[in-house]
Amino acid sequence: MTILIKIFGNLRNKIKDVESDGALPLTIQINSEKIDRISDILQKFSIEKNETSHIFVNGVYAGFKKKVNDGDRVGLFSKNQALLYKWYFKREEDD
Amino acid sequence: MPKRILRVNMDNLEVKFEDFPAGFAALGGRGLTSTIVEKEVDPLCHPLGANNKLVLAPGLVTGTLAPSSGRISVGCKSPLTGGIKEANAGTPFSQQLAKMRIAAIIVEGKHKGPEYYTLKVSMDKAEFSSADKWVGKGLYDTYKNLFKEYGKKVGICGVGIAAELLGASSGICFNDPEGLPSRYAGRGGVGAVMASKGLKFIIVDDTGAPGVEILNEEAFKEGAQKLRKALTTHDVTKPGGALNSYGTSVLVNIINEAGGLPQRNFSTGQDDRSEKVSGEVKAAEIKKRGGQRPHFCNPGCIIQCSEVWCKPGGKDPVGCLEYESVWSLGPNCGIYNLDEVGELNRACNDLGLDTIEAGGMMGVAMEGGLAEFGDGKKALKLMDEIRNKTPLGRILANGTAFTAQAMGVTRVPVVKGQSLPAYDPRAIKGIGVTYATTPQGADHTAGYAIATEIMGVGGTADPMDTSKADLSRNLQIATAAVDATGYCLFIAFAILDIPEGLEGVVDTLNGVLGSNLTVADVPGYGQSIIDVERKFNKAAGFTKLDDRLPEFFLKEKLAPHNTVFEVSDAELDKVWGP
Repeated sequence: MTILIKIFGNLRNKIKDVESDGALPLTIQINSEKIDRISDILQKFSIEKNETSHIFVNGVYAGFKKKVNDGDRVGLFSKNQALLYKWYFKREEDD
Repeated sequence: MPKRILRVNMDNLEVKFEDFPAGFAALGGRGLTSTIVEKEVDPLCHPLGANNKLVLAPGLVTGTLAPSSGRISVGCKSPLTGGIKEANAGTPFSQQLAKMRIAAIIVEGKHKGPEYYTLKVSMDKAEFSSADKWVGKGLYDTYKNLFKEYGKKVGICGVGIAAELLGASSGICFNDPEGLPSRYAGRGGVGAVMASKGLKFIIVDDTGAPGVEILNEEAFKEGAQKLRKALTTHDVTKPGGALNSYGTSVLVNIINEAGGLPQRNFSTGQDDRSEKVSGEVKAAEIKKRGGQRPHFCNPGCIIQCSEVWCKPGGKDPVGCLEYESVWSLGPNCGIYNLDEVGELNRACNDLGLDTIEAGGMMGVAMEGGLAEFGDGKKALKLMDEIRNKTPLGRILANGTAFTAQAMGVTRVPVVKGQSLPAYDPRAIKGIGVTYATTPQGADHTAGYAIATEIMGVGGTADPMDTSKADLSRNLQIATAAVDATGYCLFIAFAILDIPEGLEGVVDTLNGVLGSNLTVADVPGYGQSIIDVERKFNKAAGFTKLDDRLPEFFLKEKLAPHNTVFEVSDAELDKVWGP
């Protein structure tokens, strides 16, 4: 299963083996059968839940239990990027 | 000394201080500008004629030690929308005016000749002088020279070349704390209204000002403390939070990831090149260049979302590049280069243009063939058409709808003639309902604020759900109330989650007014402001058919979600009822 992951803000510091281009987000493709949900992705990169703010799966505001599928695009934002019109968005926790 | 109104008659260049009507005691900011416009302006008047009036009013708590409260509202009949307009800005100018106990400046009439004037307002007098030597000049140099002439401590508001053209995309420019012409009451062509009267600048000198009268010091102090605590502890508004770290442009990556960041005149909702103009990249670049981040737009702000963008080496400071400006002049034009966006923003500030309207205009100009999408250099040359006052410049200065019509473009992202801001309503339906139904014309700030929990805001929060009437209505009502206080809308993030913060806001209002308002009074207060604005618009000829988005948002699918704006007309009409 291939998933495109965009890692924004301070969360980039958690990823040690990918070179960073200035302040641009890290773009990583992962291929793993062990990834089922967002929480698995966080675990893979040793990112704690409380270190995140917004999480998107294919442009949909998502929670930690959201299932991911082959070809999905996932965006992970750091805690200090919490700034959404949250009354416009509802977290999709799972399918 | 009680509060006063300064009435400025441009027919005969006379000024007088009037008593502040007792019935207006609880009105400030947008509440006051909209009330005065509704009472004194013929809704059918020509917006650029003698019968329109321009009203400037600081908020109710502006000028006090209440945190993040330095907003000023500007109201009039808009030459862009044809309806009532309120645009606001954060600036030391508002605090100075409030400390002088000037609740409002009302500019009326119209100077008959071609001359322009500067009005200098001191504690006990207001005097005119010629402003002709500044005509046709950019505001960066002009503000520098005005501060030399009037002293570093004055506040300045003024209009630029775009307003001299009576362009409907011209704003009113206020100085930031460093004196840069970068804080705009931008929207709706308020600059053209000021220029149409022959007024180019207002200078305020608050020497000897008594400060804002506070009738209940104890309530005020307690309230300010509660709000300060909420702002300094909430993740969004605290030092090191999103706004403080990255500014409003933190939203570039977030909204792009959500698939709602309009690209190339609202052609798609996502383009990863937008990452190059994100808040994260900008903050890092400002640090490298020797600009300022964070920065406050007015003294006493805790949030400090502002910044000073500059050229390398700290040279040629522009001021703040807000999210909306970065988007409108960047991704909306297919421009993904921060230096080019910065120079386009500088051109807007220098010419006196609303950045949202200017970016919207540039998007349709590019679609119409005046430049290729992504050609930042050509975009700057088009700005020079305005600077040189050419016939094409006159078209561009009149904004998105006017330029689209001139160029035969049919995808025109406006509501009530005003350009849409940086969230595509096909991806985020709720804000689309606000764009359609606010009396102001498409305006993201009109429905920006306040808690579902605290204010009883109804409706679902799913961005794709189309039942958004209750949500939008209550947000608009709450926002109108905040706009009257003088508080920055961004306090909403903190008072949304921390009930003591909202109590603090109400306590500070009670402190200033000597009143006994409660949190439960806030919605009614906001509704009364909206009612006044809708009454004006109805008399100006607006109907529910004006509360609609342009056709292409209903027909043309937006990637990556591949959805249209399918909120029904019935749902839109439900916002304000029959």
